Amino acid sequence: MRVQPLLHLENISKRYGSVRVLDGIDITVADNEFLTILGPSGSGKTTILRIIGGFEGIDGGRLMFEGRDLASVPINRRPFNTVFQDYALFHHMNVAENVGYGLKVRGRPKAEIAAKVADVLETVGLGALGARYPAQLSGGQRQRVALARAIICEPRLILLDEPLSALDVELRAQMQRFLKSLQRRLGIAFVFITHDQEEAIALSDRIIVVHRGRIEQEGAPEQLYRRPRTPFTAAFLGENNLIPGTLTSAEGAVCQVETAAGRLQATVDGPVPSPGSPVLLAVRPEHITLTANPAPGALLAEVAEIRFLGANILIELRHPALPDTLLKVRRLADGGTTGLRIGQSLAIGWAAADAALLAAS
Amino acid sequence: MNPMPSSARSGPPRRRGIARDLLWHGLNLGLPLLFVVLPILSFVLVSFWTLKDGQIVHVLTLANYRAFFTEGSYLQVYLSTLALSAQVTLINVVLATAIAVFIFRRTPRTRFLILMSFMLPLFMSYIIKIYSIRSILGQRGLLNEGLLALGLIDQPIEALLFSRTAIFIALAVLYLPYAILPIYLALDRIPANYLAASADLGATPLQALRDIVLPLGRPGIAAGAVFTFILTFGDFVTPQMVGGTQGFTFGRIVFSQFGLALNWPLGSALAVILLATTLLAVALAGLTLRREHVR
Repeated sequence: MRVQPLLHLENISKRYGSVRVLDGIDITVADNEFLTILGPSGSGKTTILRIIGGFEGIDGGRLMFEGRDLASVPINRRPFNTVFQDYALFHHMNVAENVGYGLKVRGRPKAEIAAKVADVLETVGLGALGARYPAQLSGGQRQRVALARAIICEPRLILLDEPLSALDVELRAQMQRFLKSLQRRLGIAFVFITHDQEEAIALSDRIIVVHRGRIEQEGAPEQLYRRPRTPFTAAFLGENNLIPGTLTSAEGAVCQVETAAGRLQATVDGPVPSPGSPVLLAVRPEHITLTANPAPGALLAEVAEIRFLGANILIELRHPALPDTLLKVRRLADGGTTGLRIGQSLAIGWAAADAALLAAS
Repeated sequence: MNPMPSSARSGPPRRRGIARDLLWHGLNLGLPLLFVVLPILSFVLVSFWTLKDGQIVHVLTLANYRAFFTEGSYLQVYLSTLALSAQVTLINVVLATAIAVFIFRRTPRTRFLILMSFMLPLFMSYIIKIYSIRSILGQRGLLNEGLLALGLIDQPIEALLFSRTAIFIALAVLYLPYAILPIYLALDRIPANYLAASADLGATPLQALRDIVLPLGRPGIAAGAVFTFILTFGDFVTPQMVGGTQGFTFGRIVFSQFGLALNWPLGSALAVILLATTLLAVALAGLTLRREHVR
């Protein structure tokens, strides 16, 4: 089932002077999809957005919209609208003028603009604020005006450049829910840029992890969380314990890994690396089991720190053979963990299926 | 021994605080009063005196103001100078806005260079500027020689210098930088992503100019207009230097009352009218601004 994607970035590269900021970026965006481009600052994620929007040229590759090359299409003719990081609301226009601007420059009749503005303001929950100026609005209200301004022309795609980064925690959670429901209701594809992995996981249908101008991995949030394929993805999405080692043998997807702490088991997703190659073993803190009475041959580690985090307890352990690695273990705080002491020796373990094998970069 | 009441203990520092406040308020009010208001009031006062047999009569009268409206050609010169200044202001605001928008559209690095080159005349002495203008406009000046060489005229145009046109051109050239600077500074404050946002919403560059650049440049345009108007309306040297006998502007009348006729009371009255006119211009410019345009 090959459907033509709404937008296709084909092998895009971009350099600023001698610095290569994007290298062979290949992204497809499907209709109605909430796609998040996730990466740390300096990863090139904002450059990708600016290239789609037309604010930035490309040095290689093609940008295709429904099979049509966008290279010669200027910003003002692209069928996308952008929600800018600081909203870029025109401070000399009131909310209604800001929201209606896209229709005004298209020469639509005034009555039509007024009706549509009222309609869109209702959609974003700002029905009564049309006459206010941006300076008279709160951060969350400005955010909604920027959204209203972007959706009024019924674009096929909305680009959102870290739109929630300026909001405080509570408002951010509220806006996340709003964004997601708005996207579902409108059925417009959203391309959302963020460095916040929790936000990406909470909002997206699909996440593309970008690092140093390249795509690290892409997939559904759950897939990326459960089956990271690169050390970067494993460390950037949620917490992970990474243990370096060498692959000795593989039986199907289950691999034997020789580490400083002994021989450990892990499961590989995708092609199995050749035996003898350096690998990383990734285990989530919530997947590690702790036992006070170790069986012979168990992996023993010493409790270095116990941190109470409300619903959770985070226990940090040190293995004598892995001096550079603090093993993090997460537990629900209501369980029998009150007996833990710093300095105590515990046996740690995990199911082979919960340890991901990653090729070391 | 009884402890001291608390009010007595806090008294001295409190009193020192009041003294300091008084000193600052005094300076805030006193400095402008001393350096601006008092000098102006002094010539306002003189404008209500009269001159008799070369002596100032210290009796308050409106005679000087009556003279402005009824005697000689004061009112006529005033009105023609008003028209001249308005014309110079209009052309300069149009030119300066175009130049400022041109600079604004360059890359940040070239902006400064172009702006500085337009500001260069501000670093030059007036005398050099006015004589360069004369050498360009003169009978054997650059403009006439150029037109002759191109064969567009076969005799030098005499009216280029010592005419109303000459004054108009000279004033416009001299005061153009004073209009460019405030307009450019206003444009420079427009957030860069406003233009990105307007393009993103479908605006053509011309629509962005109409809806974003010019409205947000309005405070600067008003300031540029006020500067140009005040400077041209009060200029009494340029009209003489390039206008000859044609160049009898209101500024020169004021100057001649002080410098030639030695009629300080009449000169002061005319100066008060000049001041009132410029204040009116400032007020008019202020009226064109909306609060929302200034951030």
